[in-house]
Amino acid sequence: MTAALHLAALATTAFGLVASAVVLVAARRPRAALAVLLDFLTAAGLLRLTGEPSWDAVAAAAAVIAVRKLVTAGLRLSR
Amino acid sequence: MNLFLSVEVLSESTLRDVVDLMVRLVEAAGALIIFLGAVWAFGRFLLVGVRGGGVGREFNKIRLSLGRFLALGLEFQLAGDVLRTAIAPSFTEIGQLAAIAAIRTALNYFLSREIAEERAEIERERHKEADDIRPRAESA
Repeated sequence: MTAALHLAALATTAFGLVASAVVLVAARRPRAALAVLLDFLTAAGLLRLTGEPSWDAVAAAAAVIAVRKLVTAGLRLSR
Repeated sequence: MNLFLSVEVLSESTLRDVVDLMVRLVEAAGALIIFLGAVWAFGRFLLVGVRGGGVGREFNKIRLSLGRFLALGLEFQLAGDVLRTAIAPSFTEIGQLAAIAAIRTALNYFLSREIAEERAEIERERHKEADDIRPRAESA
């Protein structure tokens, strides 16, 4: 199950990269593209937390989520 | 006699096995929901991006739905954490469980706030559009 979860997390990250590129090209809004990428990265982080993660995995997921919150708050303030 | 029966009917190892299986099932369901949400959102982003026309609002709607998928998956994973507390044997495991549950709870809180904000923004845009159309219709 762990291998499948890692694969799913990797696929989700790749989806995020492609989807944010599509948003950037179609809407020409870099902020929206960044927000989409961060959403997908959060999903990947959550997938990595499934099962029995190590302390390192927990710390990495927490860091990603904290950075995501910081960037999202920054984007909202600069709107 | 009663004690003997209770030990035989539900031994600690059996309980551990049953709860472990349930935790795996519930967490797998949560992970599946999150992954399906990501796949669905990815497909929609591609479709809307290729089609074009009013993409800004459509992208917001897709993000809102992705957020809902993530929140639902998180609820499942939190349920798994709660189940796991029934059998956590060591302090290290309990600590790890607390850290993961705290992350998931915080994320769930922030996600639901974001979903509410996105929904309010979509509503605002809809009202603005309706207000823009009304004077035009009245003058015509």
